[in-house]
Amino acid sequence: MKPAAFAYLAPRDLDEALDQLAEHGADARVLAGGQSLVRLMNARLASPAVVVDINRVAGLDALERHNGTLRLGATVRQRTSELSPDVAAHAPLLAEAGAHVAHAPVRSRGTVVGSVAFADPSAELPTALLALDGRVVVRSRSGERTVEADDFFTGPFTTSLAPGEMVVAVEVPVTTAGTGTAFVEVARRHGDLPVCGVAATVTRGDDGRVGATRIALCGAGERPVRARAAEDALTGSDGGTDAVAEAAARASEGLSPIADCHGSADFRRHLARVLTGRALRTAIDRAAGEANDV
Amino acid sequence: MSTVEDRPTTATTGSPREGERRWIGRSVARKEDPKLLAGRATYVGDVMLPGMLYGAVLGSPHAHARIVSIDTSAAEAIPGVAAVLTGAQAAELVNPMPAFCAEPVPQTAVAIERVRYPGEAVAIVAATDRYIAEDACAAIRVEYEVLPAVVDPEAAMAADATRIHETLDSNVAFHRVLDFGDVEGDLARAHTIVRTRARWHRMCASPMETAGAVASWNPFDKSMTVYSNSNFHNFLPWAFAGMLGVSTNRMRMIPCAVGGSFGSKHFITKVLAIAGALTKATGKPVQYMEDRVDNIAANDNVGCDRIYDAELALAEDGEMLGLTLKIVDDYGAYFQFAHGQHGNAMAQPTGPYRIGSLRYDVSCVLTNKVQQGFFRGAGADPGNFVLERLVDKASEVMGIDRAEIRRRNFIAPEQFPFKTPPGNVYDSGNYAAVLDRALELAGIDDWRAEQERMRAEGRYLGIGLATCQERTGYNASEWWFLYDNPPLPATSTPESVKIDVDAMGGVRVEVGCPLWGNSPETVVSQVVAEEFGIDPADVSVTYADSTTGAMSAGPGGSRLTIMLSGATRGAARTIRDKMIRIAAHAMEMDPADVECVDGTFRAKGAPGTSMSMADIGMRAALFFHSTPEDESSGLVAVHTYDHPYSTPPSDDRKDMGAFYPMVSHACHIPIVEVDVETGLVTLRAYYAVNDCGTVMNPTLVEGQIVGGIVQGIGAALMEEYRYGEDGALDTPTFREYLMPSMHEVPEIVVEHLETPSPFTEYGVKGAGEGGRLVAPTAIASAVDDALKPLGVWVDELPMTPERVVNLVQGAGGGS
Repeated sequence: MKPAAFAYLAPRDLDEALDQLAEHGADARVLAGGQSLVRLMNARLASPAVVVDINRVAGLDALERHNGTLRLGATVRQRTSELSPDVAAHAPLLAEAGAHVAHAPVRSRGTVVGSVAFADPSAELPTALLALDGRVVVRSRSGERTVEADDFFTGPFTTSLAPGEMVVAVEVPVTTAGTGTAFVEVARRHGDLPVCGVAATVTRGDDGRVGATRIALCGAGERPVRARAAEDALTGSDGGTDAVAEAAARASEGLSPIADCHGSADFRRHLARVLTGRALRTAIDRAAGEANDV
Repeated sequence: MSTVEDRPTTATTGSPREGERRWIGRSVARKEDPKLLAGRATYVGDVMLPGMLYGAVLGSPHAHARIVSIDTSAAEAIPGVAAVLTGAQAAELVNPMPAFCAEPVPQTAVAIERVRYPGEAVAIVAATDRYIAEDACAAIRVEYEVLPAVVDPEAAMAADATRIHETLDSNVAFHRVLDFGDVEGDLARAHTIVRTRARWHRMCASPMETAGAVASWNPFDKSMTVYSNSNFHNFLPWAFAGMLGVSTNRMRMIPCAVGGSFGSKHFITKVLAIAGALTKATGKPVQYMEDRVDNIAANDNVGCDRIYDAELALAEDGEMLGLTLKIVDDYGAYFQFAHGQHGNAMAQPTGPYRIGSLRYDVSCVLTNKVQQGFFRGAGADPGNFVLERLVDKASEVMGIDRAEIRRRNFIAPEQFPFKTPPGNVYDSGNYAAVLDRALELAGIDDWRAEQERMRAEGRYLGIGLATCQERTGYNASEWWFLYDNPPLPATSTPESVKIDVDAMGGVRVEVGCPLWGNSPETVVSQVVAEEFGIDPADVSVTYADSTTGAMSAGPGGSRLTIMLSGATRGAARTIRDKMIRIAAHAMEMDPADVECVDGTFRAKGAPGTSMSMADIGMRAALFFHSTPEDESSGLVAVHTYDHPYSTPPSDDRKDMGAFYPMVSHACHIPIVEVDVETGLVTLRAYYAVNDCGTVMNPTLVEGQIVGGIVQGIGAALMEEYRYGEDGALDTPTFREYLMPSMHEVPEIVVEHLETPSPFTEYGVKGAGEGGRLVAPTAIASAVDDALKPLGVWVDELPMTPERVVNLVQGAGGGS
């Protein structure tokens, strides 16, 4: 449980970091909170030749709101996000999902962006980002691009990030009145990665019917996935018990869950249905309420 | 956590506390704590010797394979690498690992020619640090020819199954059927027979500190010094010496503080052999500590892995007549400890009940998994699970309340000492009193009301109940009595201490056991304090290495407090008597007229005439002419306390004899809530009433019980080694192998009743395993109770969310 030898670089600004990433390409890994990468390195499941520690890079720790968008920089800690009044008010799903990540000491080091970039298919935060219709801001020496969450996650622990690129921030549209969100999961123990989790956003239309709905699942596939059949079933419905049950029943359509010692594929499909029902009920209630009480 | 009253006693047990005791029975502050809590105890990992190298192991990626070739050249070329040894090379330096089994199942610390479980050592490395050692492991090239993996123990029993060891005719290493009493007659006359097919999966002890050793070979005098966290340095040092190729009188084993063991580090021959081979190869001291991955994969001490087909025969009134247990036990790839876990289980298979007959049919099966060893529960754990499940089933089938059916069958207080069908003797107990108090403590009526209220909301609350034995204080016969011709029919489990009182009256105790996570310093200090009337804080305690001649089987089988009490009291009384003689001589009195009170030796009836411990200590040390003529100088006594009550098995094995006769008892009542849709089981509360005889130190006993219950929660809900069809270990780290954290543990309320043992000093019994021996079956009972409206029957642990959902769906409930 000792890592292979590696070079450690500690850039002071973003340009220096991007230069280093450009130079070392696929041999380099970005280190932020280190809560996932270091474990992999100790187990020699990852043996990067170069580790680029971005913790000293100025400006990456900003958590800001502009024009209806909440932006979290690459070194914003999960704990910071979870406790942020801005996040609580404008992206409560992120706070609710974030509270399920490991334990407080881990969240005090781990970063929101790090979890997104690591792309564990069981992790809570990528799933929340997907449900929130978030975006991933990617930089390299050749410039900046923005990737929709729907397009960012490509497989287990893999993303559309290219060598030389790093995620500098994630952005989510602020959750407005009339939209309810919820995150529920089943984990074997408090703080474990979930066997299955569901993030949902539900918007009430002016007509009282359910408008835009996004449902994202973790632990249900090779990457965080949308339950589109369930979304379609709920959208336009009255959001009542039957509609939720119908949507929940369709939550496992098209899923190809990865089986492991914590749950078979069938069990994860079962949980996807159960938890989708629970998440939708809560999100619908919250959409009808004054605020997204977490 | 609850605070336990200072030795609560009840009218039901007759308040056994002797009024004059000052230190036995008090929550004396644990002497071991300050150094442990401050990180100042010396563990194996703290031992730093000049020039020391660090070992690492390359484990097999395959469950079963032939080793075609090993190329170590690239590893040897890495700067800092001092030695790379294959199994064949290691075998030139150290001998195979000693084993208790009669069957030819050879085991070397590093595999030769064939690997038989995933993670089995294929090569070992010594280097200047562990990083380089692991780099070297990664650079070793091994070519394997993969063989079919034998994973399912029942399939392994087939005549045509792939053989794990060519030296055996079958993968069934051992099979025996033993009948005690009139089994057939009891089955024939039964009104009701309840049956279960139960599954208990393998778990591991998971101590915070893994097994490890520092070995230092001296090639000039052919001696070896070994620091380790083994418990057997003063019990079987000759066995380690034989394995390491060192003459017994040139082998020194030094115990280190141990970061938990839960019984899993008695023998740890593998780590000693690895460190020993590497120090011999390099001529330098070598540390080999398992890391967590090594420990989970290859600790050689995983727990029982059993399939039970069990039946309990009852008369119409619920009287339990007979019990039959047909057991297939998956031992993994080796058989180092033989079937000792079944010898252990034989101590209490019929539980606290007057069951008249027993059939014990055991098959020990070899598969491609890491081998079984011992840890907390040691073979009796699944037995309690199965028996209590059968009793609950009988209660359900026969319509007799589950507390009532137990009461009707409990061995009554006046029936002790009680001889069980297989021959073991129970010393004492009052099981009905424990049950009654537990029901009262739990507030069972309030929980029933809460259960009803929640069911109306569609929620499932369950109230568990289990009444179980905890056999304590083993004799070595449990290792071998299932054999007719055992290879080593040992009958000793001694424990010794040496006490000396120096010239200034200071009392020092040297114990033969290690600091293994238990509290030997506190216990011996309490006993010395009791015998001399001094403060336990003034007693100094040290640990004997293997060169002192100390005899010690150490902690294991919940024996340590029993045995240390006996050994310490014996040595203390020898010295006290000598001090009385010296004092009487000095005061010109008859020794019969001198007593020891509050650390002074005084004339009975005239306390003004007295001598201090220092007065006598100096006289004994330096004034030979002023002591009685036949007294030698000094105040030193060694006392070896042997097993207080054991008898040999009969030749026909119809009677295994008394070998585990100090029997504690407990009733546990856990309260759970089950989410029938997700399968999550949440503990809401936990009540335990325990009777371990005279409670030496309530705080220490509570620690043992609570810790054991937490481990039992793991057994009930989480802990399980899982293997893929190809034999790969699917639970290689703590991400997959789950144990309870503080979040999964409810408030645990513990109370004690005290039925002293007639066999031991002060009446103490053991308490080290009871929590884990009772909690799993109690929690299973609670889940059953919660899901009773759905008709669920739990017969497999752990109750993972998926298993619970499957049970609910199988019963036709849930979504």
